[in-house]
Amino acid sequence: METEELLINMGPVHPSTHGVLRFKLRMDGEIIKECTIVLGYLHRGTEKLAEMKTYLQFIPYTDRLDYVSAMPSNYAYVKAVEELADIEVPLRAEYIRVLVMELNRIVNHLVAIGSLLMDLGASTMMMWGFREREKALQLFEMLCGARMTFSYMRIGGVREDLPDGFIPKLKEFIEDMEKRIADYEQLINNNEIFLMRMKGIATISAEEAINYGMTGPTLRGSGVNYDIRRLEPYSIYPDLDFKVCVRSEGDSYARYIVRIDEMRESLHILRQLIDNMPESSIIATQKYGIIPMTGAPYTAQTYFPRIFTPPAGEVYSRIEAPKGELGFYIVSDGTTKPYRIKIRSPSFCNLAAIPQLVRGLKIPDLIAAFGSIDVVLGDVDR
Amino acid sequence: MWTGDTMTNAYELIVNILTAIGVYDQIYNLFEIFGMAYVLKILIVSVLIAVLFAFVLVTVMFLTWMERKVVALVQVRYGPMVTGPRGLLQPVMDGIKLIGKEDIIPAKADRWIFTLAPFIVFVPALLIFIPIPFGNSLIISDLRVGLLYIIAISAVSPIAVLLAGWASNNKYSLLGAMRAVAQDISYTIPLALAAIAVVIFTGSLSTVDIVNAQGDYWFGIIPKWFIFLQPIGFVLFLIASIAELGRIPFDFQESESELVAGFFTEYSGMKFAMFFLAEYAHLFAVSGIVVTLFLGGWNGPVIPFIPVQITSLVYFLIKTYAVIFFTMWLRDTVPRMRIDQLLNIGWKIMVPLALLNLLVAGFLVTAGVI
Amino acid sequence: MAWMSKNWTMTGIIMGLVVTLKHVLHIGDRPTVTVQYPYERMKLAPRFRGRHAVDEDACIGCGICEVNCPNSTIRIVKYKGRWFPELNLGMCMFCGLCVDACPMNAIKMTQDYELADYTRESVVYGPDRLLFKRGEKW
Repeated sequence: METEELLINMGPVHPSTHGVLRFKLRMDGEIIKECTIVLGYLHRGTEKLAEMKTYLQFIPYTDRLDYVSAMPSNYAYVKAVEELADIEVPLRAEYIRVLVMELNRIVNHLVAIGSLLMDLGASTMMMWGFREREKALQLFEMLCGARMTFSYMRIGGVREDLPDGFIPKLKEFIEDMEKRIADYEQLINNNEIFLMRMKGIATISAEEAINYGMTGPTLRGSGVNYDIRRLEPYSIYPDLDFKVCVRSEGDSYARYIVRIDEMRESLHILRQLIDNMPESSIIATQKYGIIPMTGAPYTAQTYFPRIFTPPAGEVYSRIEAPKGELGFYIVSDGTTKPYRIKIRSPSFCNLAAIPQLVRGLKIPDLIAAFGSIDVVLGDVDR
Repeated sequence: MWTGDTMTNAYELIVNILTAIGVYDQIYNLFEIFGMAYVLKILIVSVLIAVLFAFVLVTVMFLTWMERKVVALVQVRYGPMVTGPRGLLQPVMDGIKLIGKEDIIPAKADRWIFTLAPFIVFVPALLIFIPIPFGNSLIISDLRVGLLYIIAISAVSPIAVLLAGWASNNKYSLLGAMRAVAQDISYTIPLALAAIAVVIFTGSLSTVDIVNAQGDYWFGIIPKWFIFLQPIGFVLFLIASIAELGRIPFDFQESESELVAGFFTEYSGMKFAMFFLAEYAHLFAVSGIVVTLFLGGWNGPVIPFIPVQITSLVYFLIKTYAVIFFTMWLRDTVPRMRIDQLLNIGWKIMVPLALLNLLVAGFLVTAGVI
Repeated sequence: MAWMSKNWTMTGIIMGLVVTLKHVLHIGDRPTVTVQYPYERMKLAPRFRGRHAVDEDACIGCGICEVNCPNSTIRIVKYKGRWFPELNLGMCMFCGLCVDACPMNAIKMTQDYELADYTRESVVYGPDRLLFKRGEKW
């Protein structure tokens, strides 16, 4: 009997493509023969925009790359600029930066796990995750006045110091989070249907994952001990005690478990940061160009010039964002605006492996694999 | 006269009540003058059916509200709160909204089948209630083949789903419809086999007989419900009926995150509402059947001074809502399975288990347990 | 199927059912957390970045905010014989760079976040809607 192949367009408007992504699926009944990814529905030209903004003005745009975890995007950019201009950052600023980034890692993983379970049809985890996320977002709101698009980092430091009552609320959050993670694990980890859907699905070997340029939890789920916080330590990570979570299976379930473990590790890091928070300035006091006006209050900008001119040169700087390796390549020609910025976004590279992962699987597996990779389309299309 | 054992259905109940009030004879004579006594019977039964359907529709509306409230409770939310007390009028508002919506028929759709499909889903979902005993003598018609009727009627819905999916001319709809048919066929078998095990005990397909067989007690305390005789049968029947209903973890026909909305992707307005209502009517019916077959139907402790019709209705509803709550609770806990896994479990585990269960039931009957 | 024979007890699902039931019955610090938005509101942090407000006495109309705005949201316009910023909030991304840049500390961000409007013109906030006098509530 001859059967016809079915061509399905999944997306750009589809409930589980996490935004505007399009899969072109060549199907044999329910089995995916070939999956082609069509990108660009959320392309905003961020890299080109950067060429028309000053170094400072570009910070809000980095928020909008990976809008689920904006702090690491912020940090990756300012870190690159700081390396370019060779700026010394005060210790307290670094502590605050790492604190918000680890908090953001928890938020990101909550959304990742929540939307994964949502795609699998269990909407409860999404709501529970968002309950805790809301608490974290309130902390961010206390800190910088915004809930998702922070633009909190500044070149040479952070915008504002920790407000009163932030540390007690954070401690409360950590306590609460410990209990909630136990709840999540009770709900999901041993659920037979969840295991059926996740175990052994969309398996990728370590070698293949490296070849595809996968990073972050997706790579660590395949058994590669690769974490830039360890391999190329930046900020204060060398002083911190944390463990890199690795699973060897390489399937969707391993990627999920790595995320759960990483949330625990992030809580552990947060506790250390709270205990060792030093007292110092929150922004570098080096002065370039303009002298700040007298009488202005103590903000980031009074200690750092509005017009900032790094020396000519180029730099590539990368950090371990929640989704993987986030790198900024900046070419400076010695003017106030960058000559070129290239963003190496983790979502884009991880997404590239999807066609390989899902070949021969079924549509529900595509959803599960895609959810377990954890992609934000703002980060993919830039 | 209220507890007359001769009353087998609601028609006789009404006749008895009218007689007790003392008006039945006058009405009967009035009709007999014109030689149309049968019209009276038809009238009474029609009114009863209208009451039943109204009751079912109100229940269905309540169930949509309840579903949202249960989901909300699990997910630390409130659910609908604005329209009416605790959002109780939300289903009414939803209905008004759906009626007001534009009724879109896709240009490439098969118009006639596309329009017909919601009705084919909706009508059997109501007809299934005819032989369900809501209480002592609260049954429209005690068919002697009640159980067969129920299984036969519920087998109509996959056809309608296939029609809907095919006529929409949408790939998602078609996939959803195919899944629904595969799922319904493979789960009707364990469903029927589990039900037959009960029939072996009662020796009758009549739902009333099945309920009456569960009226006694062992040692004066444990009710003689079939769940205790047939635990495996109960679990199989429950799982199979959730699969028949197409609810999470078995909601492949609509699986929102994969197939957008499955077979009713293209439906809108009242047609969509009919699918929606049929789904919940089915939920209520299936829960009622689970209660009838395994949880003792309307049986329960007799309370003096209250007519048994009312207490039995209350018992039946309590048990039914317990089953409904369980399905909703399960829905919030588990993710969706995959269609091939579901079929594997259906054919490789549930059918053999159901057959085994049948064998056990045969042995139990031979040994004279009941 | 080998998997099924290992897991036929479905303990994982039963554990899940227990934890969801705990939420239904609110056992052990699992309260409902919804805020019924139009009827009750959450308390905003003091640093919340909402609509802008400009201190009428402090603003010198220098245009530094205009230069610093990444999105060209701000335009300096004449109002009551002086120069003041005018904001097109349709373009604003509430990054707060104008606040940082202001040399006189005249521009502030308020707690006002319900900024939806019917026309493109009405989201352009002129000085008449942005200005406040020191000591007044904006």
